[in-house]
Amino acid sequence: MFRISMLVLLLTLIGLSGCSSWGVQPWERDVLAQKKMQLNPYPVDVYLDEHIYTSREASAGGRAVGGGGCGCN
Amino acid sequence: MQLKKPKSIRSALAVATCSMLSGVSHHATAESTPWEFDTALLYYAESDADNDRVTVVEPVIRARKEIADEEFLTFRFVFDSLTGASANGATPQNTPQTFTTPSGESTYTTNANQTPLDPSFHDARGAINAEWELPLSRLTKGIFSANFSQEYDYTSMGLAATLSRDFNNRNTTLTGGLSYNADTVRPVGGAPEGLSPMPTTTAVKKTTIGSDLDKNVADLLVGVTQVINRNTLMQLNFSYGMDDGYLSDPYKIFSVVDNTGSLVGTDPYLFEKRPDSRARQAIYWQTVHQFTKDVINFSYRYYWDDWGIASHTLDLKYRAELGRGHYLEPQLRYYTQSKADFYYFDTPDGSTLSYASADYRLGDLDTSTIGLKYGITQDDNSEFAIRAAMYTQSSGGDAPFPDVTANIIQFNYSFNF
Amino acid sequence: MKQIILYSRWLAAILVLFTAVVGAHAAPAPDFELPTDGKKVSLQAMRGRVVYLDFWASWCKPCRKSFPWMNAMQAKYRDQGLQIIAVNVDSDPELVKRFLEKYPADFIVAYDAEGKLAEQYQVKGMPSSYLIDKQGNIQVQHVGFREKDKTGMETQIKHLLQN
Repeated sequence: MFRISMLVLLLTLIGLSGCSSWGVQPWERDVLAQKKMQLNPYPVDVYLDEHIYTSREASAGGRAVGGGGCGCN
Repeated sequence: MQLKKPKSIRSALAVATCSMLSGVSHHATAESTPWEFDTALLYYAESDADNDRVTVVEPVIRARKEIADEEFLTFRFVFDSLTGASANGATPQNTPQTFTTPSGESTYTTNANQTPLDPSFHDARGAINAEWELPLSRLTKGIFSANFSQEYDYTSMGLAATLSRDFNNRNTTLTGGLSYNADTVRPVGGAPEGLSPMPTTTAVKKTTIGSDLDKNVADLLVGVTQVINRNTLMQLNFSYGMDDGYLSDPYKIFSVVDNTGSLVGTDPYLFEKRPDSRARQAIYWQTVHQFTKDVINFSYRYYWDDWGIASHTLDLKYRAELGRGHYLEPQLRYYTQSKADFYYFDTPDGSTLSYASADYRLGDLDTSTIGLKYGITQDDNSEFAIRAAMYTQSSGGDAPFPDVTANIIQFNYSFNF
Repeated sequence: MKQIILYSRWLAAILVLFTAVVGAHAAPAPDFELPTDGKKVSLQAMRGRVVYLDFWASWCKPCRKSFPWMNAMQAKYRDQGLQIIAVNVDSDPELVKRFLEKYPADFIVAYDAEGKLAEQYQVKGMPSSYLIDKQGNIQVQHVGFREKDKTGMETQIKHLLQN
């Protein structure tokens, strides 16, 4: 548990330090702005799937809202 | 404000002071934005080699509207109706077996060499969810939600809050979320005392521990989303959850057997008993990547909890654009879990147990889903889609319950109004 | 009386330091010459007018709200010397065409498909707008387009036009 949280923290710090090869300029977000490039483009589908799986399997959790998208405003 | 012979500094000051004095933050009402509706109808029908099992029909309506700059209200209404039979946890025997229903007022019999299924399952559930999303600053947003669901024997209500902040020119997003749910279980016939016998005739009533039991669920989530390049986005989340209260399934039993697998004693069926707390963790990683116009959406989740269950989930969707807004999206999901410490397919007589459950959903389990979605998106942002999938659940390890297969079909229609 | 004027100038100077959104730069705006529909537009040629330079794209949702507002501003202040230039950074001209059909522009639309000018202006988010005074200096930088900022931006335009 401790190792896992350290891993997450490390990855977060890498992201924050602005890994120079990762990321795009604000005007280069045309692809990321599309609906199909969102982490959760069809929330109803995911809701129905998760409902089926959590009632048939023992696991739960993981998904969340996040970033990406057009980065506007 | 007039200035004679303006020099650049003076004009800068003038602009600055004018904007300050005239009261910049005038919160004008947004021009009328439409409601975005997402509707869906799910049909789920499960069966094993011998019998039909649970059937679910589930309509969903989701409505979202932008009420001010980047501020949204979302409502979701779900209704699901569940009918059919579900495994009660007892093992098949080479003679017919008789069980009482949860109410204790009738019995049902299972044929020899068949998995015992309780046929009295029917339930209707309604759920509503409301969510408010708003910008807290230019780079931060908050999402606050409340949910409520009600079914015949179960009530749930909860609250959740999530905060997201962008860094690195919005290439990195950090998310933190908390949620809390307070549930009440009101089992039909009362909640049986764990490890007490299930009567096999209607003359005897089961021993109960109460009729209104609480269950609380708290979840914490932290995540980071990172734009990798123009075509790729990734998310990594860590979630931690705690369940507390009545966590057993009040309708599930297990069989007590001897070393040949035959039932033992006058009360060979005992109600299951699970611990009254559960601590769970999950790590979730998702990648979205576009090739020319097609998009691949791939995720992996590793889950583990203090009941001894650990699982891997792999989910893959590939959206192939067919042109003019039509697309085809095959979907694959693979899931494997290892059993809970207190899971027994059949419980040997003489074992002293604190907890025991024969619910196959807590056992060694492998599932796979294969599906295909076909959709048509139109210029006015409306979309119609149909999805068909086959979901197979089979026992892993040494728990020989039969494969259960479900056929799924779903219709989606999204539109603005 | 002179004391009051002196103090109010100092007060104004302090207010400038605490101004959040408004970046009162007075840095010269990088000159450019970009293609428009059929012709070219050059910033140098706009000297003497107040230029509202806006970076936009077809995939930028807030831009759909900014276009009607920019049309209104251009119409209202054209005679007083305002020129709006909306620089597009799309790589696909088909998407630009579709956007302009839905949200027509009564101002100059220029094309910077490779984002070179956006880079020169150090665009921090989409959309971004720059108010350039009659002497060619950037007076205001603004990231994003929000309903509540409309009035403030119009006031800033008016002030630059009056100088």
